[in-house]
Amino acid sequence: MHEELVRWHVFGMSLHAKTLVMTWIVMALIIIFALLGVRKLSSRTPGKMQNVLEWVFDFVSKLISDNMEYEKGRPLLNYLVTLIMFVFFSNMLGLVPNLTFNLFEHFHVEFAELNKIFEGPSFMSPTADINTTLALALLTIILVIAMGIKHHGARYFHHFIEPYPVFLPIHIIDMASKPMTLGFRLFGNIFAGEILIKVILMLPGIYVLPGILPDVIWLGFSIFVGVIQSFVFTVLTIAYVAQAVAAGEH
Amino acid sequence: MNPIDIDLTLLVQVLSFLLLVFVLSKIAWKPLMKIMDDRRKFIADSLAQAEKEREQAEQIKREYLEEMRQARQEAQEVIAKATKLSEERASEILAQARAEAEKMKQAALVDIERERDRAIADVQAQVSDMSVAVAEKIIRQKLDLRGQEQLIEQFIQEVGDMPC
Repeated sequence: MHEELVRWHVFGMSLHAKTLVMTWIVMALIIIFALLGVRKLSSRTPGKMQNVLEWVFDFVSKLISDNMEYEKGRPLLNYLVTLIMFVFFSNMLGLVPNLTFNLFEHFHVEFAELNKIFEGPSFMSPTADINTTLALALLTIILVIAMGIKHHGARYFHHFIEPYPVFLPIHIIDMASKPMTLGFRLFGNIFAGEILIKVILMLPGIYVLPGILPDVIWLGFSIFVGVIQSFVFTVLTIAYVAQAVAAGEH
Repeated sequence: MNPIDIDLTLLVQVLSFLLLVFVLSKIAWKPLMKIMDDRRKFIADSLAQAEKEREQAEQIKREYLEEMRQARQEAQEVIAKATKLSEERASEILAQARAEAEKMKQAALVDIERERDRAIADVQAQVSDMSVAVAEKIIRQKLDLRGQEQLIEQFIQEVGDMPC
């Protein structure tokens, strides 16, 4: 079973079919989750799902108000709540046990071709693809620059040459490193987690208890990592935006 | 194959995520935020309402106490006035009574005086009558005694000079 990664081709450019399908599954799940939450909206007697959604909102609101003036960050609330939920659901999706248990197909994958593990009809985290995480990181940095311009106008770009114009390259590297670290951190954590899940599944002891135990432990740890990474991504986005909003206010 | 393989998927993911943000904002986050704002407003309104009602209660209590104080003061005033009035009235009555008594006393004194005068006059009259009678008797007995004429004369003179 040495099939190639499925790709779609549009305008001579390639697309990672599986990543896209998984992204759409995650989007559908989040929309269903949100619709369940807002199905019976009530300001006096919120239902359980509504409480969960409100908890997420309060959590993100608190993160915003911890980092900047809440009124300035409030327009971002929708985006940030969607972001934390998208990253969280994405991280979780890859942990859902494979319904077809097609582990035989990958039993003979060579270690040099580990990414082949993602082929076939198994679930995968959209965030285990660098394209997804870089997309989110790029949106973050666009948001940072947009908020900087919104609150400081053209003066925002002035901070690139502070305290001296000589510092311009450093500021540019600083700016460019932000989306890169954001994207690669999330991608690395989730990709590594999924690789390890498959590797554990390939252990010879898979049919006996010793093979299941490490898998369960690693799944639990991956849930923990997924939660932490979605939190970290959101907090860093808020922190970068807060920096841009506060730039020059000293 | 390199797992870090950036292609058009990046752009599609950007668009997908923006679409997700848009759709969720439209169908879920906006109504949810509205509900949360409603609740926040409801709580704030309730607190403001409670505060207002508390202030009103305070105001009513203050007014009530003020009225109580006034009523008490008025009652005090009424009592004081009544006391003063009654005292005045009492002293008036007393003075009147005293004056009346005085008048009666005066009248009584005048009466007494008059009675006394009359009694004295009576006595005088009687004394003169009696004197006359005595004198008559004496005269009748000793009239023949011419020598005593002068004595009778003197006696009458004396009776006539008596103070009445």
